[in-house]
Amino acid sequence: MSDKLKQIINKQNEQQNSETLDQSNDIVQLVGFIIGEEEYAVPILSIQEIIKPISWTRVPQTPAYILGVFNLRGSVIPLIDLRVKFGLSSKNHNEETRFFVLKQGDDVAGFVIDRLTMAIRIKKEDIGPAPDTLAGDESMIDGVGKQDDRILTILKVAKLLERDF
Amino acid sequence: MDEFQEILQDFLIESFELVEKLDEDLVELENTPEDLELLNGIFRVAHTVKGASSFLNFDVLTHLTHHMEDVLNKARHGDLLITPNIMDVILESIDLMKALLNVIRDTSADAGIDVAACVVKLDKISGGDGEVDTPVATPEVVEEESVAEAEELDYDNMSPDDLEAEIERLLNERQEEDKAKRQAKVEAGEDVLAAPEIEEEVTAEPSTEPVSTPVPVTPTPPPVAPKVEPQKADAQAAAPAKRAPATVEQTIRVDVKRLDHLMNLIGELVLAKNRLIKINDDVEERYEGEEFLEELNQVVSIVSLVTTDLQIAVMKTRMLPIGKVFNKFPRMIRDLTRELNKKIELEISGEDTELDKSIVEEIGDPLVHIIRNSCDHGIETPDIRLAAGKSETGTIALKAYNEGNQIVIQIDDDGKGLDTEMLKNKALEKGLISEKEADSMSEKEAFGLIMRPGFSTAAAVTNVSGRGVGMDVVKTNIEKVNGIIDIESEVGVGSSMKLKIPLTLAIIQALLVGVQEEHYAIPLASVLETVRISKDEIYTVEGRSVMRLRDEVLSLVHIGDIFEVERILDVSEHAYVVVLGLGTSKLGLIVDNLVGQEEIVIKSLGDYLKGIEGIAGATIRGDGGVTLICDVVALMDMAKGVKATAMVESSSAAEITHEKSKPSDYTVMIVDDSKTDRTIMRKALEPMGITLVEASDGQEALNILKAGDYNFDAMLVDIEMPRMDGYSLATEIKKYNRYKNLPLIAVTSRTGKSDRMRGVESGMVEYITKPYSADYLASVVQRNVNFKAEFL
Repeated sequence: MSDKLKQIINKQNEQQNSETLDQSNDIVQLVGFIIGEEEYAVPILSIQEIIKPISWTRVPQTPAYILGVFNLRGSVIPLIDLRVKFGLSSKNHNEETRFFVLKQGDDVAGFVIDRLTMAIRIKKEDIGPAPDTLAGDESMIDGVGKQDDRILTILKVAKLLERDF
Repeated sequence: MDEFQEILQDFLIESFELVEKLDEDLVELENTPEDLELLNGIFRVAHTVKGASSFLNFDVLTHLTHHMEDVLNKARHGDLLITPNIMDVILESIDLMKALLNVIRDTSADAGIDVAACVVKLDKISGGDGEVDTPVATPEVVEEESVAEAEELDYDNMSPDDLEAEIERLLNERQEEDKAKRQAKVEAGEDVLAAPEIEEEVTAEPSTEPVSTPVPVTPTPPPVAPKVEPQKADAQAAAPAKRAPATVEQTIRVDVKRLDHLMNLIGELVLAKNRLIKINDDVEERYEGEEFLEELNQVVSIVSLVTTDLQIAVMKTRMLPIGKVFNKFPRMIRDLTRELNKKIELEISGEDTELDKSIVEEIGDPLVHIIRNSCDHGIETPDIRLAAGKSETGTIALKAYNEGNQIVIQIDDDGKGLDTEMLKNKALEKGLISEKEADSMSEKEAFGLIMRPGFSTAAAVTNVSGRGVGMDVVKTNIEKVNGIIDIESEVGVGSSMKLKIPLTLAIIQALLVGVQEEHYAIPLASVLETVRISKDEIYTVEGRSVMRLRDEVLSLVHIGDIFEVERILDVSEHAYVVVLGLGTSKLGLIVDNLVGQEEIVIKSLGDYLKGIEGIAGATIRGDGGVTLICDVVALMDMAKGVKATAMVESSSAAEITHEKSKPSDYTVMIVDDSKTDRTIMRKALEPMGITLVEASDGQEALNILKAGDYNFDAMLVDIEMPRMDGYSLATEIKKYNRYKNLPLIAVTSRTGKSDRMRGVESGMVEYITKPYSADYLASVVQRNVNFKAEFL
């Protein structure tokens, strides 16, 4: 009996150890979401919160991808439709639509996405650079992550939050 | 190092505070050169700054203040009479001192400013009257008050002679003091018999004063001597009165950031309060007559009352007396009069009027410009004034007072006034206005010309003003704090300029207006009035919409044209015009409806959206939604570029009638709160093969319509439904151009005649009473959607 217990404890220890290994610097934690047909991801720490769609107010004299502003517990935050920003047609919000509130420094903005996928842990070595044609300072793409059979486009949060009009 | 920084901060705060008061005192001193109280005050400033700066190793500043101190000390002891020329040097040295303090604040060192020239001048003054450069000359008049300072004199900087003299002086002083104390003791001793012992000290102190009161000084230049006596007595009498309130007032220094934070929190509270009031109204409506309402009402009103009080209280903590800004003007006027060879007197009143700190900081520069302008362009030279039968000395009156929710700062001068013809000609010359504009210009508008960029009326550009940049800067700065400028003037009599500024920037009263489904907030300060008009009151002149408002012609612009609002809803026959006024210009803003007046908290749109033309910020409303705040200044600018489309028949959302090629191209919405009823209708209509969409109440139906995913050919509407009933739904639907001709079929168990009437009024085309046969329902629907026979 005590042998069995020992085994279990040993096993648990092993697992914990491997987990702590996973949490080392080689792992990047991302949150994935779908826009149109593609899966994108942003670092989990840049996400302030993810909320269900709420009403917003249109702001005049802005590009089409800026839907307007909304009230997040007393703060007025801009709302950006990533579908339109990525050149897709806008789509009515449905059950799966979410507002992604991203934050970096003092910059905060909400982004409309079609659907959430999941929180992703990915090894750094599995993240490749953006294709040459898309790389550079102007690009919104930080890198391309490969996991199992899927490909994730990792977005630059700073670029998303930068005003470009 | 941190400790040093801390001391440095304290030093800077203290010094700036002292220096601020200094200018005013100095100018006053020039008028009453023998006012000892004033002199002492000024001397103390120089001395304090010197002491602290030598401690902090600011050698340049110490050097300068030391020499200033010498001069002031002489004047204080009556060895020196302050003449305007001496005053010029003292003022110059104080300017240098300010400059040095600024340098220290920015760089923590006092290098980079040359004080040598000024020090030489100061030396000349202090040594100029041939006497030894020490206060010892009149040891017997040394007064108690100076003892404290004198003891702290910087001995390092003294020559051996000076030092000796100083020691002698101190000795004398001590003897005096002892003598006084002894005398006081004697006096007090007599008192001791009557009073308890503890009071000895207390009684002793005041009794010292008369003994050590400075005796009129012998070396005072003879011509002035007779005058000295009464003035001194005056000063002495005034001094205690002046000081008394200062000691009673208890203050603590608070970081402005903390106050800002507090203000933000209050802002949140005000929003929550607005929301609570709205919810209270809703609850009241729904549970009319319930007992708990009374209690809820009370709580809500207490909360709203306290919130308002709290808001006012916090606003007050941020208030500063406007005197802080006014302080620098006496000095400025003095300099200007000497420079321009004019005689000008400045009268200041209402300097206790309080304004929000952020506003006080903003209005300093505009006021400087305005007063400089009044001195330069307004007030005439003495000979011209005499020729015009006015007194030789011109007067500029600067006053501040409260008027409702605003502060008014008024600057009056009795100069030559503004000549409208001259202004117009000048503006024409510079190409700022066209001839036509000049002819149609009212007097007020002509005055407004001086605020235009690139306008300058001075024939020659002087050092003081006339570079043509001043007044338009004034305008921008004042508008930045939501203020307005009002000019009045009469040729030969003078002009008056009123700056009207809101008390605070963070929370304002606003008029909420609606256009289509959007709401906007307009700062109430810029709203002159609102009028209701019908479409045929709008005329088009040169491609712009205008209307007649009493005896004026008001140009109009539709808010929807400025903010690119899509015209989905039908515009009714009537509209509202919000008359916006900004200084001298007016504009009529057409809106669909007026929502009401509300207290709103201004929030910024953040970095991402800042600087959008026409939008000053946003606010959060009682229902939690965001409403944008109009920037009235920008709005007026934008209106110029908008063509007359106002009130024109709304952009007909041309309904594309799709060719129906199969039965499922027909779409019908079923609105009923009962699932069973919806199923019955569905069963009846399904055989036709048409597309059916269901909604469980009016609100949901409206949302489906708004989403625009389907092109409906008809709607079956139940009357009794929660949230929004059938009548209201019909009324709402008919507001949309797009659905104007959508057949609405009422399906209800209400059979009364009045029900039918209401149905017709709200726009229903058919009225089917439950129960009905499936065939009947199908035939009614077919008739209304023009169902093609071939699909049957």
